Amino acid sequence: MIEAKGVCLEYPDGTRALKNIELSVKPGELVYITGPSGSGKTSLLKLFMGAEYPTAGSLRVLGQHICRGQASRIGNLRRMIGPVFQDFRLIKGRTALENVMLGMRFLDIPSGCIRENAGNALKKVGLEQKMLSLVEHLSWGECQRVAIARAVAREPVLIIADEPTGNLDKNNALNILELLKSFRDTNRAIIITTHATHLIESEKDAGLILMDNGTMSRERVGVLG
Amino acid sequence: MKNILFNTGYFIKETKTIIRMNLLSNILSFLSIGLIFFILAMMISGWWISNQVVLAIQEEAEISIYFSDDLDAAGADRLVKEIKNIEGVYEARLISEEEAYSRMEKILGKEAHVLEYLDENPFSSFIEAKIQIEDIGLILKKLDLIAGIEHVRDNREVLERILGISQTIKMLGYLIITAAGISTTVIISHIIRTGIYDCREQINTLRLMGAPEAFISIPFMLEGLLLTLGGGVLSSALAAYTLKYLYTKAAGPIAFIPFPPLEALASNLVMLIMLLSAALGAVGVLFGLSSARS
Repeated sequence: MIEAKGVCLEYPDGTRALKNIELSVKPGELVYITGPSGSGKTSLLKLFMGAEYPTAGSLRVLGQHICRGQASRIGNLRRMIGPVFQDFRLIKGRTALENVMLGMRFLDIPSGCIRENAGNALKKVGLEQKMLSLVEHLSWGECQRVAIARAVAREPVLIIADEPTGNLDKNNALNILELLKSFRDTNRAIIITTHATHLIESEKDAGLILMDNGTMSRERVGVLG
Repeated sequence: MKNILFNTGYFIKETKTIIRMNLLSNILSFLSIGLIFFILAMMISGWWISNQVVLAIQEEAEISIYFSDDLDAAGADRLVKEIKNIEGVYEARLISEEEAYSRMEKILGKEAHVLEYLDENPFSSFIEAKIQIEDIGLILKKLDLIAGIEHVRDNREVLERILGISQTIKMLGYLIITAAGISTTVIISHIIRTGIYDCREQINTLRLMGAPEAFISIPFMLEGLLLTLGGGVLSSALAAYTLKYLYTKAAGPIAFIPFPPLEALASNLVMLIMLLSAALGAVGVLFGLSSARS
Protein backbone atom coordinates (compact mmCIF):
# COMPACT_ATOMS: atom_id res chain seq x y z
CA MET A 1 0.00 0.00 0.00
CA ILE A 2 2.81 2.39 0.89
CA GLU A 3 6.43 2.04 -0.24
CA ALA A 4 8.90 4.74 0.80
CA LYS A 5 12.57 4.54 -0.14
CA GLY A 6 15.00 7.16 1.08
CA VAL A 7 12.25 9.80 1.26
CA CYS A 8 13.26 13.29 2.38
CA LEU A 9 11.11 16.39 2.76
CA GLU A 10 12.54 19.86 2.96
CA TYR A 11 10.23 22.89 3.16
CA PRO A 12 10.96 26.00 1.07
CA ASP A 13 12.26 27.81 4.21
CA GLY A 14 14.99 25.18 4.49
CA THR A 15 13.43 23.15 7.34
CA ARG A 16 14.27 19.46 6.88
CA ALA A 17 11.07 17.78 8.08
CA LEU A 18 11.86 14.20 7.03
CA LYS A 19 15.17 12.44 6.45
CA ASN A 20 15.72 9.16 4.65
CA ILE A 21 12.38 7.52 5.43
CA GLU A 22 12.27 3.80 4.60
CA LEU A 23 8.81 2.33 5.07
CA SER A 24 6.45 -0.31 3.79
CA VAL A 25 2.80 -0.63 4.84
CA LYS A 26 0.82 -3.64 3.66
CA PRO A 27 -2.97 -4.27 3.44
CA GLY A 28 -4.45 -5.25 6.79
CA GLU A 29 -1.74 -3.46 8.72
CA LEU A 30 -2.43 -1.09 11.61
CA VAL A 31 0.44 1.32 12.12
CA TYR A 32 0.87 3.79 14.93
CA ILE A 33 3.26 6.66 14.31
CA THR A 34 4.40 8.28 17.48
CA GLY A 35 6.98 10.79 18.57
CA PRO A 36 7.27 14.27 20.09
CA SER A 37 5.82 17.43 18.52
CA GLY A 38 7.81 18.52 15.47
CA SER A 39 9.26 15.06 14.92
CA GLY A 40 7.70 14.77 11.43
CA LYS A 41 4.52 12.74 12.05
CA THR A 42 2.15 15.15 10.32
CA SER A 43 4.68 15.80 7.51
CA LEU A 44 4.76 12.06 6.83
CA LEU A 45 0.93 11.92 6.64
CA LYS A 46 0.95 14.95 4.31
CA LEU A 47 3.24 13.01 1.97
CA PHE A 48 0.92 9.99 2.06
CA MET A 49 -2.03 12.20 1.07
CA GLY A 50 -0.16 14.02 -1.67
CA ALA A 51 -0.38 17.33 0.19
CA GLU A 52 3.43 17.58 0.00
CA TYR A 53 5.93 16.00 -2.38
CA PRO A 54 9.21 14.31 -1.41
CA THR A 55 12.24 16.44 -2.18
CA ALA A 56 14.34 13.25 -2.46
CA GLY A 57 13.71 9.51 -2.61
CA SER A 58 10.74 7.64 -3.99
CA LEU A 59 7.26 7.23 -2.54
CA ARG A 60 4.36 5.14 -3.83
CA VAL A 61 0.97 5.24 -2.14
CA LEU A 62 -1.78 2.87 -3.36
CA GLY A 63 0.19 2.38 -6.55
CA GLN A 64 0.45 6.10 -7.20
CA HIS A 65 3.90 7.64 -7.47
CA ILE A 66 3.94 10.78 -5.30
CA CYS A 67 5.94 13.46 -7.08
CA ARG A 68 5.30 16.95 -8.34
CA GLY A 69 4.82 15.89 -11.97
CA GLN A 70 1.97 13.58 -10.96
CA ALA A 71 -0.06 16.31 -9.24
CA SER A 72 -3.08 15.82 -11.53
CA ARG A 73 -3.47 12.21 -10.35
CA ILE A 74 -3.39 13.09 -6.66
CA GLY A 75 -7.18 13.56 -6.68
CA ASN A 76 -7.64 9.88 -7.64
CA LEU A 77 -5.33 8.83 -4.80
CA ARG A 78 -7.14 10.97 -2.24
CA ARG A 79 -10.48 9.46 -3.24
CA MET A 80 -9.17 6.05 -2.08
CA ILE A 81 -8.10 7.39 1.33
CA GLY A 82 -10.28 8.02 4.37
CA PRO A 83 -8.69 10.95 6.19
CA VAL A 84 -9.44 11.89 9.82
CA PHE A 85 -7.97 15.35 10.31
CA GLN A 86 -6.54 16.57 13.60
CA ASP A 87 -8.98 19.53 13.62
CA PHE A 88 -11.74 17.35 12.05
CA ARG A 89 -12.36 19.85 9.21
CA LEU A 90 -16.13 19.41 9.44
CA ILE A 91 -18.21 21.84 7.40
CA LYS A 92 -20.10 24.23 9.64
CA GLY A 93 -23.76 24.95 9.02
CA ARG A 94 -24.30 21.36 7.88
CA THR A 95 -25.61 18.41 9.84
CA ALA A 96 -23.52 15.38 10.80
CA LEU A 97 -25.26 13.39 8.06
CA GLU A 98 -24.60 16.08 5.43
CA ASN A 99 -20.92 16.17 6.40
CA VAL A 100 -20.56 12.43 6.00
CA MET A 101 -22.49 12.48 2.72
CA LEU A 102 -20.33 15.32 1.39
CA GLY A 103 -17.24 13.11 1.61
CA MET A 104 -18.89 10.64 -0.78
CA ARG A 105 -20.64 12.86 -3.31
CA PHE A 106 -17.75 12.91 -5.79
CA LEU A 107 -16.89 9.20 -5.47
CA ASP A 108 -18.21 6.48 -7.73
CA ILE A 109 -20.84 5.51 -5.18
CA PRO A 110 -24.41 5.21 -6.57
CA SER A 111 -26.40 8.23 -5.42
CA GLY A 112 -28.97 6.01 -3.70
CA CYS A 113 -26.26 4.42 -1.54
CA ILE A 114 -24.71 7.68 -0.34
CA ARG A 115 -27.34 8.42 2.31
CA GLU A 116 -27.51 4.77 3.36
CA ASN A 117 -23.71 4.48 3.75
CA ALA A 118 -23.56 7.76 5.66
CA GLY A 119 -26.35 6.67 8.01
CA ASN A 120 -24.67 3.30 8.61
CA ALA A 121 -21.31 4.93 9.31
CA LEU A 122 -22.88 7.30 11.83
CA LYS A 123 -24.63 4.33 13.50
CA LYS A 124 -21.28 2.52 13.76
CA VAL A 125 -19.71 5.47 15.57
CA GLY A 126 -22.71 5.73 17.90
CA LEU A 127 -24.24 8.92 16.54
CA GLU A 128 -27.53 7.51 15.33
CA GLN A 129 -29.43 10.05 17.42
CA LYS A 130 -27.34 13.03 16.31
CA MET A 131 -27.44 12.52 12.54
CA LEU A 132 -29.50 15.62 11.91
CA SER A 133 -27.71 17.84 14.42
CA LEU A 134 -25.60 20.69 13.09
CA VAL A 135 -21.94 19.94 13.70
CA GLU A 136 -21.43 23.16 15.66
CA HIS A 137 -23.93 21.83 18.21
CA LEU A 138 -21.92 18.62 18.79
CA SER A 139 -19.32 18.06 21.50
CA TRP A 140 -15.59 17.62 20.76
CA GLY A 141 -15.85 13.85 21.03
CA GLU A 142 -18.95 13.73 18.84
CA CYS A 143 -17.22 15.81 16.16
CA GLN A 144 -14.32 13.36 16.32
CA ARG A 145 -16.79 10.54 15.66
CA VAL A 146 -18.41 12.38 12.74
CA ALA A 147 -14.93 12.85 11.22
CA ILE A 148 -14.28 9.10 11.60
CA ALA A 149 -17.69 8.28 10.12
CA ARG A 150 -16.94 10.55 7.16
CA ALA A 151 -13.64 8.74 6.58
CA VAL A 152 -14.98 5.18 6.80
CA ALA A 153 -18.24 5.80 4.90
CA ARG A 154 -16.08 6.35 1.81
CA GLU A 155 -15.06 2.68 2.03
CA PRO A 156 -11.39 3.61 1.71
CA VAL A 157 -8.53 1.15 1.33
CA LEU A 158 -6.36 3.31 3.58
CA ILE A 159 -7.48 5.22 6.66
CA ILE A 160 -5.15 7.98 7.86
CA ALA A 161 -5.91 9.55 11.23
CA ASP A 162 -3.86 12.50 12.44
CA GLU A 163 -3.75 12.76 16.26
CA PRO A 164 -7.30 11.44 16.83
CA THR A 165 -6.60 11.14 20.57
CA GLY A 166 -5.39 14.70 21.01
CA ASN A 167 -7.32 16.73 23.62
CA LEU A 168 -9.15 13.62 24.86
CA ASP A 169 -8.96 12.06 28.32
CA LYS A 170 -7.64 8.49 28.59
CA ASN A 171 -11.02 6.74 28.42
CA ASN A 172 -12.29 8.73 25.45
CA ALA A 173 -8.94 8.35 23.68
CA LEU A 174 -9.09 4.58 24.15
CA ASN A 175 -12.66 4.54 22.84
CA ILE A 176 -11.61 6.45 19.71
CA LEU A 177 -8.66 4.11 19.09
CA GLU A 178 -10.93 1.10 19.56
CA LEU A 179 -13.40 2.61 17.13
CA LEU A 180 -10.74 3.20 14.49
CA LYS A 181 -9.34 -0.31 14.99
CA SER A 182 -12.83 -1.74 14.42
CA PHE A 183 -12.59 -0.68 10.77
CA ARG A 184 -9.43 -2.68 10.24
CA ASP A 185 -9.71 -5.59 7.81
CA THR A 186 -7.42 -7.65 5.59
CA ASN A 187 -7.81 -5.30 2.62
CA ARG A 188 -7.53 -2.04 4.49
CA ALA A 189 -4.59 -0.44 6.26
CA ILE A 190 -4.92 2.11 9.04
CA ILE A 191 -2.26 4.66 9.96
CA ILE A 192 -2.70 6.63 13.18
CA THR A 193 -0.40 9.30 14.58
CA THR A 194 -0.54 9.86 18.31
CA HIS A 195 1.37 11.38 21.22
CA ALA A 196 -0.25 8.97 23.64
CA THR A 197 2.35 6.17 23.67
CA HIS A 198 0.92 4.78 26.92
CA LEU A 199 -2.29 3.89 25.09
CA ILE A 200 -0.64 1.77 22.42
CA GLU A 201 2.09 -0.01 24.38
CA SER A 202 -0.01 -3.11 24.83
CA GLU A 203 -1.06 -3.41 21.18
CA LYS A 204 1.24 -6.20 20.04
CA ASP A 205 -0.57 -6.83 16.71
CA ALA A 206 -0.06 -3.24 15.57
CA GLY A 207 2.95 -1.75 13.83
CA LEU A 208 4.81 0.99 15.61
CA ILE A 209 6.96 3.71 14.09
CA LEU A 210 8.92 6.11 16.25
CA MET A 211 9.66 9.49 14.78
CA ASP A 212 12.37 11.76 16.08
CA ASN A 213 13.63 14.93 14.46
CA GLY A 214 12.57 13.82 10.97
CA THR A 215 14.02 10.32 11.17
CA MET A 216 12.09 7.11 11.80
CA SER A 217 12.67 3.76 13.34
CA ARG A 218 10.29 0.86 12.94
CA GLU A 219 9.72 -0.89 16.23
CA ARG A 220 7.05 -3.40 15.23
CA VAL A 221 5.14 -4.68 12.20
CA GLY A 222 1.55 -5.67 12.70
CA VAL A 223 -0.49 -7.30 9.92
CA LEU A 224 -3.80 -9.08 10.41
CA GLY A 225 -4.07 -12.81 9.94
CA MET B 1 -20.64 14.28 -15.41
CA LYS B 2 -22.78 11.57 -13.78
CA ASN B 3 -21.73 12.83 -10.34
CA ILE B 4 -22.56 16.40 -11.32
CA LEU B 5 -26.09 15.42 -12.40
CA PHE B 6 -26.66 13.33 -9.27
CA ASN B 7 -25.55 16.23 -7.11
CA THR B 8 -27.78 18.92 -8.65
CA GLY B 9 -29.75 19.27 -5.39
CA TYR B 10 -26.54 19.57 -3.38
CA PHE B 11 -25.15 22.27 -5.71
CA ILE B 12 -28.35 24.32 -5.45
CA LYS B 13 -28.30 24.03 -1.66
CA GLU B 14 -24.61 24.99 -1.54
CA THR B 15 -25.24 27.99 -3.81
CA LYS B 16 -27.99 29.17 -1.45
CA THR B 17 -25.62 28.78 1.50
CA ILE B 18 -22.83 30.72 -0.26
CA ILE B 19 -25.25 33.53 -1.17
CA ARG B 20 -26.58 33.62 2.42
CA MET B 21 -23.03 33.83 3.83
CA ASN B 22 -22.47 37.17 2.02
CA LEU B 23 -26.07 38.26 1.71
CA LEU B 24 -25.59 42.05 1.79
CA SER B 25 -22.66 41.92 -0.61
CA ASN B 26 -24.64 39.71 -2.97
CA ILE B 27 -27.70 41.98 -2.83
CA LEU B 28 -25.54 45.04 -3.60
CA SER B 29 -23.84 43.20 -6.48
CA PHE B 30 -27.23 42.14 -7.84
CA LEU B 31 -28.49 45.75 -7.73
CA SER B 32 -25.26 47.10 -9.30
CA ILE B 33 -25.43 44.58 -12.12
CA GLY B 34 -29.14 45.37 -12.61
CA LEU B 35 -28.34 49.10 -12.82
CA ILE B 36 -25.45 48.56 -15.25
CA PHE B 37 -27.65 46.44 -17.51
CA PHE B 38 -30.45 49.01 -17.23
CA ILE B 39 -28.12 51.78 -18.49
CA LEU B 40 -26.98 49.42 -21.23
CA ALA B 41 -30.60 48.59 -22.15
CA MET B 42 -31.49 52.27 -22.38
CA MET B 43 -28.44 52.96 -24.53
CA ILE B 44 -29.22 50.07 -26.85
CA SER B 45 -32.86 51.13 -27.22
CA GLY B 46 -31.70 54.70 -27.98
CA TRP B 47 -29.38 53.28 -30.58
CA TRP B 48 -32.07 51.10 -32.17
CA ILE B 49 -34.62 53.95 -32.20
CA SER B 50 -32.16 56.40 -33.77
CA ASN B 51 -31.19 53.85 -36.41
CA GLN B 52 -34.85 53.24 -37.17
CA VAL B 53 -35.51 56.99 -37.41
CA VAL B 54 -32.52 57.52 -39.71
CA LEU B 55 -33.62 54.61 -41.91
CA ALA B 56 -37.17 55.94 -42.07
CA ILE B 57 -35.93 59.44 -42.94
CA GLN B 58 -33.56 58.02 -45.52
CA GLU B 59 -36.47 56.17 -47.12
CA GLU B 60 -38.38 59.45 -47.22
CA ALA B 61 -35.41 61.43 -48.54
CA GLU B 62 -36.57 63.68 -51.30
CA ILE B 63 -35.40 66.67 -53.26
CA SER B 64 -37.38 69.49 -54.90
CA ILE B 65 -36.39 70.42 -58.44
CA TYR B 66 -37.45 73.85 -59.71
CA PHE B 67 -37.53 74.49 -63.41
CA SER B 68 -37.78 77.50 -65.71
CA ASP B 69 -41.18 79.29 -65.97
CA ASP B 70 -40.83 79.15 -69.76
CA LEU B 71 -41.28 75.39 -69.70
CA ASP B 72 -44.78 74.32 -70.76
CA ALA B 73 -46.69 71.28 -69.37
CA ALA B 74 -45.28 68.93 -72.00
CA GLY B 75 -41.76 70.12 -71.24
CA ALA B 76 -42.32 69.58 -67.51
CA ASP B 77 -43.58 66.02 -68.19
CA ARG B 78 -40.50 65.31 -70.28
CA LEU B 79 -38.33 66.61 -67.46
CA VAL B 80 -40.08 64.28 -64.97
CA LYS B 81 -39.35 61.30 -67.24
CA GLU B 82 -35.70 62.32 -67.59
CA ILE B 83 -35.33 62.67 -63.82
CA LYS B 84 -36.96 59.25 -63.24
CA ASN B 85 -34.29 57.69 -65.46
CA ILE B 86 -31.46 58.91 -63.21
CA GLU B 87 -29.94 56.11 -61.12
CA GLY B 88 -30.89 56.47 -57.46
CA VAL B 89 -34.23 58.22 -58.18
CA TYR B 90 -37.09 55.87 -57.51
CA GLU B 91 -39.99 58.27 -57.81
CA ALA B 92 -40.51 61.65 -59.46
CA ARG B 93 -43.75 63.63 -59.56
CA LEU B 94 -44.83 67.02 -60.79
CA ILE B 95 -46.28 69.19 -58.01
CA SER B 96 -48.59 71.86 -59.41
CA GLU B 97 -48.80 75.45 -58.09
CA GLU B 98 -52.16 74.61 -56.49
CA GLU B 99 -50.79 71.56 -54.67
CA ALA B 100 -47.81 73.60 -53.45
CA TYR B 101 -50.26 76.21 -52.11
CA SER B 102 -52.43 73.65 -50.31
CA ARG B 103 -49.33 72.00 -48.78
CA MET B 104 -48.28 75.35 -47.37
CA GLU B 105 -51.79 75.80 -45.95
CA LYS B 106 -51.43 72.49 -44.13
CA ILE B 107 -48.00 73.42 -42.81
CA LEU B 108 -49.17 76.81 -41.54
CA GLY B 109 -52.30 75.36 -39.95
CA LYS B 110 -54.11 78.07 -37.95
CA GLU B 111 -51.82 80.71 -39.43
CA ALA B 112 -52.83 79.78 -43.00
CA HIS B 113 -55.02 82.90 -43.21
CA VAL B 114 -51.88 84.96 -43.92
CA LEU B 115 -51.93 83.46 -47.41
CA GLU B 116 -55.25 85.18 -48.04
CA TYR B 117 -53.48 88.56 -47.94
CA LEU B 118 -51.55 87.65 -51.08
CA ASP B 119 -53.12 88.69 -54.36
CA GLU B 120 -51.97 85.66 -56.30
CA ASN B 121 -50.48 82.21 -55.61
CA PRO B 122 -46.80 82.86 -54.85
CA PHE B 123 -45.80 79.21 -55.28
CA SER B 124 -44.47 77.79 -58.49
CA SER B 125 -44.77 74.22 -59.67
CA PHE B 126 -41.80 71.90 -59.12
CA ILE B 127 -40.76 68.27 -59.41
CA GLU B 128 -40.54 66.19 -56.23
CA ALA B 129 -38.13 63.24 -56.41
CA LYS B 130 -37.67 60.47 -53.86
CA ILE B 131 -34.08 59.32 -53.88
CA GLN B 132 -31.56 56.93 -52.33
CA ILE B 133 -29.79 59.23 -49.89
CA GLU B 134 -26.37 57.69 -50.49
CA ASP B 135 -26.65 58.55 -54.24
CA ILE B 136 -27.48 62.22 -53.65
CA GLY B 137 -24.10 63.54 -54.87
CA LEU B 138 -24.32 61.70 -58.19
CA ILE B 139 -27.98 62.65 -58.66
CA LEU B 140 -27.24 66.36 -58.14
CA LYS B 141 -24.41 66.19 -60.69
CA LYS B 142 -26.68 64.58 -63.28
CA LEU B 143 -29.45 67.14 -62.62
CA ASP B 144 -26.92 69.89 -63.33
CA LEU B 145 -26.54 68.55 -66.85
CA ILE B 146 -30.27 68.61 -67.65
CA ALA B 147 -31.44 71.73 -69.45
CA GLY B 148 -34.35 73.70 -68.01
CA ILE B 149 -33.63 73.09 -64.35
CA GLU B 150 -33.15 76.33 -62.40
CA HIS B 151 -32.24 75.04 -58.97
CA VAL B 152 -32.52 72.03 -56.68
CA ARG B 153 -33.47 72.14 -53.00
CA ASP B 154 -32.20 69.21 -50.96
CA ASN B 155 -32.32 68.52 -47.23
CA ARG B 156 -28.79 67.13 -47.25
CA GLU B 157 -27.65 69.11 -44.22
CA VAL B 158 -30.51 67.85 -42.06
CA LEU B 159 -29.94 64.27 -43.16
CA GLU B 160 -26.21 64.53 -42.54
CA ARG B 161 -26.84 65.92 -39.05
CA ILE B 162 -29.19 63.05 -38.22
CA LEU B 163 -26.61 60.59 -39.54
CA GLY B 164 -23.98 62.29 -37.34
CA ILE B 165 -26.20 61.95 -34.25
CA SER B 166 -26.80 58.30 -35.06
CA GLN B 167 -23.03 57.70 -35.39
CA THR B 168 -22.42 59.41 -32.03
CA ILE B 169 -25.09 57.28 -30.34
CA LYS B 170 -23.50 54.20 -31.94
CA MET B 171 -20.06 55.16 -30.62
CA LEU B 172 -21.50 55.84 -27.16
CA GLY B 173 -23.28 52.50 -27.38
CA TYR B 174 -20.01 50.67 -28.06
CA LEU B 175 -18.33 52.51 -25.18
CA ILE B 176 -21.17 51.72 -22.78
CA ILE B 177 -21.31 48.07 -23.85
CA THR B 178 -17.55 47.81 -23.22
CA ALA B 179 -17.83 49.59 -19.86
CA ALA B 180 -20.81 47.44 -18.83
CA GLY B 181 -18.98 44.29 -19.88
CA ILE B 182 -15.87 45.18 -17.88
CA SER B 183 -17.87 46.31 -14.81
CA THR B 184 -20.00 43.16 -14.78
CA THR B 185 -16.95 40.93 -15.22
CA VAL B 186 -15.13 42.72 -12.39
CA ILE B 187 -18.14 42.58 -10.01
CA ILE B 188 -18.79 38.89 -10.69
CA SER B 189 -15.10 37.95 -10.45
CA HIS B 190 -14.84 39.84 -7.17
CA ILE B 191 -17.93 38.27 -5.62
CA ILE B 192 -16.72 34.80 -6.62
CA ARG B 193 -13.26 35.46 -5.17
CA THR B 194 -14.89 36.68 -1.95
CA GLY B 195 -17.08 33.57 -1.84
CA ILE B 196 -14.08 31.31 -2.41
CA TYR B 197 -12.08 33.17 0.24
CA ASP B 198 -14.89 32.79 2.76
CA CYS B 199 -15.17 29.08 1.98
CA ARG B 200 -11.43 28.39 1.78
CA GLU B 201 -11.49 25.95 4.71
CA GLN B 202 -14.28 23.95 3.16
CA ILE B 203 -12.59 24.01 -0.25
CA ASN B 204 -9.28 22.81 1.21
CA THR B 205 -11.08 19.99 3.02
CA LEU B 206 -12.84 18.91 -0.16
CA ARG B 207 -9.53 19.00 -2.05
CA LEU B 208 -7.86 16.87 0.63
CA MET B 209 -10.67 14.36 0.25
CA GLY B 210 -10.09 14.25 -3.51
CA ALA B 211 -13.00 16.35 -4.76
CA PRO B 212 -12.46 17.38 -8.41
CA GLU B 213 -12.08 21.11 -9.10
CA ALA B 214 -15.29 21.09 -11.17
CA PHE B 215 -17.25 19.70 -8.20
CA ILE B 216 -15.83 22.41 -5.92
CA SER B 217 -16.39 25.22 -8.45
CA ILE B 218 -19.99 24.55 -9.51
CA PRO B 219 -21.74 26.29 -6.55
CA PHE B 220 -19.59 29.40 -7.12
CA MET B 221 -20.34 29.31 -10.84
CA LEU B 222 -24.06 29.07 -10.09
CA GLU B 223 -23.77 32.01 -7.69
CA GLY B 224 -22.15 34.20 -10.39
CA LEU B 225 -24.63 33.18 -13.06
CA LEU B 226 -27.60 33.72 -10.73
CA LEU B 227 -26.39 37.23 -9.92
CA THR B 228 -25.92 38.24 -13.55
CA LEU B 229 -29.11 36.61 -14.77
CA GLY B 230 -30.98 38.17 -11.82
CA GLY B 231 -29.45 41.55 -12.74
CA GLY B 232 -30.54 40.93 -16.34
CA VAL B 233 -34.13 40.20 -15.29
CA LEU B 234 -34.23 43.30 -13.05
CA SER B 235 -32.85 45.57 -15.77
CA SER B 236 -35.17 44.07 -18.43
CA ALA B 237 -38.22 44.73 -16.25
CA LEU B 238 -37.05 48.30 -15.51
CA ALA B 239 -36.19 48.96 -19.17
CA ALA B 240 -39.55 47.61 -20.42
CA TYR B 241 -41.41 49.79 -17.89
CA THR B 242 -39.31 52.89 -18.74
CA LEU B 243 -39.77 52.41 -22.50
CA LYS B 244 -43.53 52.06 -22.06
CA TYR B 245 -43.56 55.29 -20.02
CA LEU B 246 -41.40 57.15 -22.56
CA TYR B 247 -43.53 55.96 -25.49
CA THR B 248 -46.68 57.21 -23.73
CA LYS B 249 -45.00 60.56 -23.08
CA ALA B 250 -43.62 60.82 -26.64
CA ALA B 251 -46.95 59.95 -28.28
CA GLY B 252 -48.11 63.60 -28.13
CA PRO B 253 -45.28 66.06 -28.73
CA ILE B 254 -43.05 64.02 -31.07
CA ALA B 255 -45.59 61.76 -32.71
CA PHE B 256 -44.09 62.54 -36.15
CA ILE B 257 -40.91 60.54 -35.28
CA PRO B 258 -41.28 57.02 -36.68
CA PHE B 259 -40.55 55.01 -33.50
CA PRO B 260 -40.31 51.21 -33.87
CA PRO B 261 -43.25 49.27 -32.31
CA LEU B 262 -42.90 49.09 -28.50
CA GLU B 263 -43.61 45.33 -28.24
CA ALA B 264 -40.95 44.41 -30.81
CA LEU B 265 -38.42 46.79 -29.28
CA ALA B 266 -39.04 45.54 -25.71
CA SER B 267 -38.93 41.82 -26.59
CA ASN B 268 -35.72 42.20 -28.66
CA LEU B 269 -34.17 44.24 -25.86
CA VAL B 270 -35.08 41.67 -23.16
CA MET B 271 -33.67 38.86 -25.31
CA LEU B 272 -30.42 40.75 -25.92
CA ILE B 273 -29.97 41.75 -22.26
CA MET B 274 -30.59 38.20 -21.05
CA LEU B 275 -28.11 36.79 -23.58
CA LEU B 276 -25.56 39.46 -22.63
CA SER B 277 -26.04 38.82 -18.91
CA ALA B 278 -25.54 35.07 -19.41
CA ALA B 279 -22.42 35.63 -21.52
CA LEU B 280 -20.91 38.26 -19.20
CA GLY B 281 -21.82 36.13 -16.18
CA ALA B 282 -19.95 33.19 -17.70
CA VAL B 283 -16.90 35.38 -18.44
CA GLY B 284 -16.98 36.83 -14.90
CA VAL B 285 -17.25 33.33 -13.40
CA LEU B 286 -14.27 32.07 -15.43
CA PHE B 287 -12.16 35.10 -14.45
CA GLY B 288 -13.17 34.79 -10.80
CA LEU B 289 -12.41 31.08 -10.63
CA SER B 290 -9.09 31.30 -12.47
CA SER B 291 -7.87 34.27 -10.41
CA ALA B 292 -8.94 32.59 -7.15
CA ARG B 293 -7.16 29.40 -8.21
CA SER B 294 -3.92 31.16 -9.05
